[in-house]
Amino acid sequence: MNTLNRQKRDQNEEIDFSKAEEILDAYEGVHGALIPVLQKIQAAYGYLQEPVINLVAERMNMNASEIVGVATFYAQFHLQPRGVHIIKVCCGTACHVKGAPKIVEKFSAELDVPVGSTTKDKLFTLEEVACLGACSLAPVAMIDEDVHGKLAPDNVTQVIQKTK
Amino acid sequence: MINLIIDNKNITVPRGTDIFLAAKNNGIYIPGLCYHPKLSQYGGCRLCMVEVTERGRTRHKFSCAQPVSEGMQVKTKTPEIIKYTKSVMEYLLAHHPLDCPTCDKSGECGLQDITHDLKLSKGRFKTVRMNKPMRRDNPLLEFNANRCILCGRCVKLCKDVEGVGAIDFQNRGINTIIGTAFDKPLDCSFCGGCLSVCPTGSWQDRTFKFRARHWELKKTTSICPYCAVGCTIETNTKDNTVLKITSNDARGMNEGNLCIKGRFGHDFVHSDKRIKTPLIKKNGVLSPVSWDDAIGYVAKRFREIKNVYGGKAIGGIGSEKCTNEDNYVFQKFCRMVLETNNIDNLSNMKSPLLNTLIHKSIVHGFTSTTSLKKIEKADTLFFVGADVTEAHPVIGTLARKAIRLNKADLIIANLRNVRFDSIAKNDIRLIHKLGTQAPLINALIKTIIDEKLVDLKRVEKATDGLRELKSLLKTFTIKKASQITGVSEETIRKASALVAKPGNCYIVCGKDIEEDPSGPDTIKALMNLCALINTASSLKTDAGKISLVFSRLNNNSQGANDMGVVPDFFPGYLDIDDQSNRKRFEKSWDTKLSDTIRKGTAFNLIDLALKKKLKAMFVMGENPIVNFPNGKTVKEAFRQLEFIVVQDTFLTETAQLADVVFPTATFAEKEGTYTNMAMEVQRLNIAIPPVCNARQDWQILCDIAKKMGVTLFYESSKEILDEIENTVPIFSGIYYERLIRQSFNWVTAHKLKSRKYKFEILNPKSVTVKKKRDYPFLLLTGPSLHHLGSFSRNSNSLVSVASECFVEVNRKDAQQMNIHDGDEVLIESIQDSMKLKAKVTKKLPENMIFIPEDYEWVHVNVLRDNVYTKVKLSKA
Repeated sequence: MNTLNRQKRDQNEEIDFSKAEEILDAYEGVHGALIPVLQKIQAAYGYLQEPVINLVAERMNMNASEIVGVATFYAQFHLQPRGVHIIKVCCGTACHVKGAPKIVEKFSAELDVPVGSTTKDKLFTLEEVACLGACSLAPVAMIDEDVHGKLAPDNVTQVIQKTK
Repeated sequence: MINLIIDNKNITVPRGTDIFLAAKNNGIYIPGLCYHPKLSQYGGCRLCMVEVTERGRTRHKFSCAQPVSEGMQVKTKTPEIIKYTKSVMEYLLAHHPLDCPTCDKSGECGLQDITHDLKLSKGRFKTVRMNKPMRRDNPLLEFNANRCILCGRCVKLCKDVEGVGAIDFQNRGINTIIGTAFDKPLDCSFCGGCLSVCPTGSWQDRTFKFRARHWELKKTTSICPYCAVGCTIETNTKDNTVLKITSNDARGMNEGNLCIKGRFGHDFVHSDKRIKTPLIKKNGVLSPVSWDDAIGYVAKRFREIKNVYGGKAIGGIGSEKCTNEDNYVFQKFCRMVLETNNIDNLSNMKSPLLNTLIHKSIVHGFTSTTSLKKIEKADTLFFVGADVTEAHPVIGTLARKAIRLNKADLIIANLRNVRFDSIAKNDIRLIHKLGTQAPLINALIKTIIDEKLVDLKRVEKATDGLRELKSLLKTFTIKKASQITGVSEETIRKASALVAKPGNCYIVCGKDIEEDPSGPDTIKALMNLCALINTASSLKTDAGKISLVFSRLNNNSQGANDMGVVPDFFPGYLDIDDQSNRKRFEKSWDTKLSDTIRKGTAFNLIDLALKKKLKAMFVMGENPIVNFPNGKTVKEAFRQLEFIVVQDTFLTETAQLADVVFPTATFAEKEGTYTNMAMEVQRLNIAIPPVCNARQDWQILCDIAKKMGVTLFYESSKEILDEIENTVPIFSGIYYERLIRQSFNWVTAHKLKSRKYKFEILNPKSVTVKKKRDYPFLLLTGPSLHHLGSFSRNSNSLVSVASECFVEVNRKDAQQMNIHDGDEVLIESIQDSMKLKAKVTKKLPENMIFIPEDYEWVHVNVLRDNVYTKVKLSKA
């Protein structure tokens, strides 16, 4: 989904349920289909918003509490809006030794956002992850699909600027 | 049956039993916190580990999730197991706040008990307090996440038993917490089930908090004073004060489940608003007097009225809330002392044919439910005009059990799309048009006959009039039925198949049928349906049995009718005009009954009062001014009367009109019996002595009789029940002592003589409701989960949850009129008008509004006509 569309939707409070309805139609009468439904809905809307979850609950004859329970259990689901770019800073052993905490701190200060949250302009979401499997490049961070290796606190700003 | 050995003890249990339950039932203790017999297995607390030797292999298994097998050897207390269990407890306790001194659960806490059993004093881990915030977002329940061990009992109960599913596990790992979706305030039915199953003190009753320690409480088994389900409750008292209501899973048909009214609606017992002394109206003001004065005055006035106008100028309204004994003495007092047969109770006044129909249904074996508990064994559930979730929540829990464990199918026929949450595979809703209940049932019958879903030859042999029924329904095609009722043909076919399928089917016939003008026709149609299926079932191939359960409104609505507080019958439905019945009672009461004790005119008491044929009225524990349709007329009727006596706990609208008011005891101060809607007579017990000078209803009646020169003398409720046992045939065999252990069901105790069933031949026409141009909406009234009568109105707990009456408006209508949730709307009928907050809903059909009638302080009945009330709606 392109940026413009997403921003437009966030500004406009009215939620377009048609996509969710379409997904739910496809799974009509299928038992145990909650996770694929939530995945598809998240892919369509960016995150799982309350009204959409309530719709899922109603259509799948489930309780909202149960759906939120599932959504909060799995790291793949998000109940808060996410940024256009997702920054995943590796905090695995190798990166940790190479100073990942400082990198995270720098990202956090630079974007003015705590770890696990999204900036006010909805551009970046900062996350810590366990291991990205690129230990030779430690300390490493991924912004969307791009891997940035051998980071130092000093070039964090540059990386952010490049992504913007 | 499976044989196994647990701790060197030979045990035989049914196949499929878990080791945990097998051990528990045979007196072997295994610790466990997540297991609960009411709920499905979870295996979450990890405490119930046992050593299992099977086919030569020894392994460690969780006993709650391991079914028994033949020859299994189980050891529950090997050193290894004890070591394991201890360390699990250490983990559980590492985060537990150990605030037992201020925890209400202390003394009955599962965690505490196991800690004590395992002699755990010092753990190996550093204890860390989590300091999670308390959930305190509602007036009744409080959740302390710090004490929670995440056993999941409350989650399962909320979802499976109550069908609410307000709470679930949220988050993951150490952050896991029991919570609502999006951490919203708890929005549930407040049944308090979570309280009853929580093994720790996580869920707390806010109305009880810090008021007593567990071991100080005295528990008295009793029966809930609200709806007609008759749940067994335990009244917890300390220093003669009712502090909380709990339930015992092993007692009563409710299996420890209660609803919000039953669990939290008890505080009216100690309400300030209770009448404290007898009152006599002096110069238009009710002022306190002594018992002797009040009784003397009433006796004097009754004697005067009797002398001048004759006994039949006095009317009596018995109570659907008082005990059987109260009602028996009431009718005896009226018939013997006042010499009037103008007595009735509100349920009979609302649906006068119901008693006869129920009796017919019993005679033909359609109502043979020994207990409401049987519903949990149903294969098909059919709710006709019954809003179970609101009116009889515990029937809902029983139904859900049938759906969960027995894979029962569900059919709901109603005007409104009433809420009933279930996981039924076949959940069919027959949302029909107004006045088409009877055609809808006839459509089911027609489908069953046409598609030969039952063995019609067998039916023809066992019944009369099948041919007439067939020829009558000849022109009534499914297509036509579908047009009339507004239910699709396919749905009608599906529903017919489910009703006719082999297995137990329970039909719960609700208030919407019983109080409807077409009610008798619908019930007759339902009986035809029952006859069709019951007589067709052969015991060899299927146990197809269909049972009708007639829902009643109050705790003892059934009992008031059983006890003969009706103009047509003596107690036990004995025809009042029959000489032998008359003799029976004359002999028992040692009196000669007046000639006026005969079936009277077809008018009910309100009409008689309006016609000035009544001069006085004796009302026992009822509030007809608010609880009878056409409120204005009722008020008018009461104004015509010269003398009104009311016995009640609270100064209700009716009591305010009275000349004399007697304060009466509540369920906690009473003993006696209530009869629930499945005709189960259950006993209640005295938990506390009478509060503020109140007396038992029957005592007051006896006192007045004595002053009037007639001896009605009883020592206790037991003596009254003994007299009932001796005199009333259907109650022979009822013994007060035996009722402690077991309820008495007069239907099953006495097989009434059954004749060949003759099909009722009814014209399958719908009732047409005339529209009025100026009043485009139709007013429906119905039950409410939170309120029933003057008790709930004076319960602060219930009022705090449901403080305001509302009017439900269809979403489309609301959109047209620009009404939003919470807007105040003006409802006008020809009779009266009122303003209420709107609740926009999808449940209702268009052009209809719904107002719950049990918010007693809102007099919905003044809007109501005797039949369908037309109203108009506007934004206030």
